[in-house]
Amino acid sequence: MSQVTEVVKLRRKVLTETARFTFEGKLQEKIQQIPKTVVTEDGPRYRCCVHKERAVLHDRINVALSQPIGSSIEESAARALTGEMADVPIIQVLPEACDKCPIDKFIVTDACRNCLAHNCIASCPKKAIMVVQNRAYIDKTKCVECGLCKRSCAYGAIIEISRPCERACDLQAITAGNDRKAVIDYRKCVQCGACKISCPFGAISDRSMIVQVIQKLLGPKRVYALVAPAIVGQFGPRVTSSQVIKALKAIGFYDVIEVATGADIVTLEETREFAGRMAGSTDFMTTSCCPAFVGLIEKHLPELKGNVSTTVSPMVAIGKVVKSRDPEAVIVFIGPCVAKKAEALQNQAVIDYVLTFEELAAMFVGANINIAEIPAEACASNASRDGHVFARAGGVLNAVINAAQEIAPEVTILPHRCEGLGNCKNALQHIREGKIEANFFEGMACVGGCVGGPGTLSDFRVTAKLVDNYAASLEIKTAPANPKAKEEIEKGHHLHR
Amino acid sequence: MNKLIVEICIGTSCHLLGAQDLIETIQELPEAERARVEFQGVTCLKSCGKGPNVRINGVTIPSVTPQQLIDIIRDNLFK
Repeated sequence: MSQVTEVVKLRRKVLTETARFTFEGKLQEKIQQIPKTVVTEDGPRYRCCVHKERAVLHDRINVALSQPIGSSIEESAARALTGEMADVPIIQVLPEACDKCPIDKFIVTDACRNCLAHNCIASCPKKAIMVVQNRAYIDKTKCVECGLCKRSCAYGAIIEISRPCERACDLQAITAGNDRKAVIDYRKCVQCGACKISCPFGAISDRSMIVQVIQKLLGPKRVYALVAPAIVGQFGPRVTSSQVIKALKAIGFYDVIEVATGADIVTLEETREFAGRMAGSTDFMTTSCCPAFVGLIEKHLPELKGNVSTTVSPMVAIGKVVKSRDPEAVIVFIGPCVAKKAEALQNQAVIDYVLTFEELAAMFVGANINIAEIPAEACASNASRDGHVFARAGGVLNAVINAAQEIAPEVTILPHRCEGLGNCKNALQHIREGKIEANFFEGMACVGGCVGGPGTLSDFRVTAKLVDNYAASLEIKTAPANPKAKEEIEKGHHLHR
Repeated sequence: MNKLIVEICIGTSCHLLGAQDLIETIQELPEAERARVEFQGVTCLKSCGKGPNVRINGVTIPSVTPQQLIDIIRDNLFK
């Protein structure tokens, strides 16, 4: 995500104010102020009136508190402060915010010349097109939205309009409901967050756990931050990891752990698993670190479930390491990802909370911490170059190929990778049909990989470059060269699903 | 010719509200204008929450959008 639009600013302001009042210990008293300070009577106006804007903000606040939409925000604040999270999906449509975008899919534009051929009329199987006022007209009561007219017009005068959310969802999980508001079909949705980024009205949001996390930070327990490698450059190209670590400790985290170490553990385990499977009967194996990609296979290509690596994700791997060291630990994963929130719910014994980088930044601002003013220091990494490169597309393949050269030189890897769920789905079908020759597949739901996730603060191309530069500076190059990762594997953590 | 100094706050609050977009806007100015603008990152302009903040000629301007920044720079360069 790069462009900070007004919609993005509104969401971030709600998160910031919520975090601020929670840190001050005054969320309960001040929650009613949020709708009044984030949008004021004098504007600027985004919607018809201030009342509508505030109604939308109530939805946003409930989502920020992980409470059911439609609840009173005071009651929601009370529940969130006790640590409660409603059992609602991670990604939700904010009904008040959805603008019920028109669903007239095909529209005749001014470019129509009322030509003689009338290919549109000839092509329409439902006889839904006639000429009205010297121009083609589509009778919506007859149109079945097949698109033949659009294709037949020599002028390209008929255009196809789709809702941004529908277009963003490669899995057709979001559609217009009976009242024309967007509806998510959770049997198809893998919580990747693509629709959230696409909606120009900001009508889709992921629920946040900031209040619950801040309460833990203010409490007596040891709270660990597990930070994903895509963090590099998220707070601006000049901000270094050492500044972020200090900021995390300043808001109450007991320790900061690199998920890149988890990536090294996963690389070793996944390489071993791959070598084992290739010796057996499996023809190809896919990666398992992207939870939305795993969701794609489980919900849309269930016949390929057996081809997904059973190795856990780097988040879960490192979470297990920390929990085994400190069983009382409260574990917070901080990353670019929305789908990780859903993955954490399936791994509640290991991961307690998930925050996005956006939510973390809102927490810093709410705690009056300005990272740019924290002095930078040199900062060593426990993880390898290849572990850090997991953050961008191609990183997992790269890590496994390098690891295999050292620990399983006998296997031949025929790699293939894709970004974007639609692309992944097509490629997997092609592999199954033998049209693509590959035995190891890396799937990433987000374009660019994790650095392109919906919870990021910087453009993925910039972040990808910064991740590569940082990784290149590290001493340990590959996962097998990382003694800490090996040591943890030898401890015998259960690293398979 | 003196360069126009454009200070953009890169503090966490302004970063969250889009300071990076403003920096990119400056970098993408047409050659002739870019040569006359000097960008400086500052860590706080004491107007947090109303970001992204920009200071030009000693005046702090809050809630600047990329388009507004282009207009302000041109007003200052060609006045």
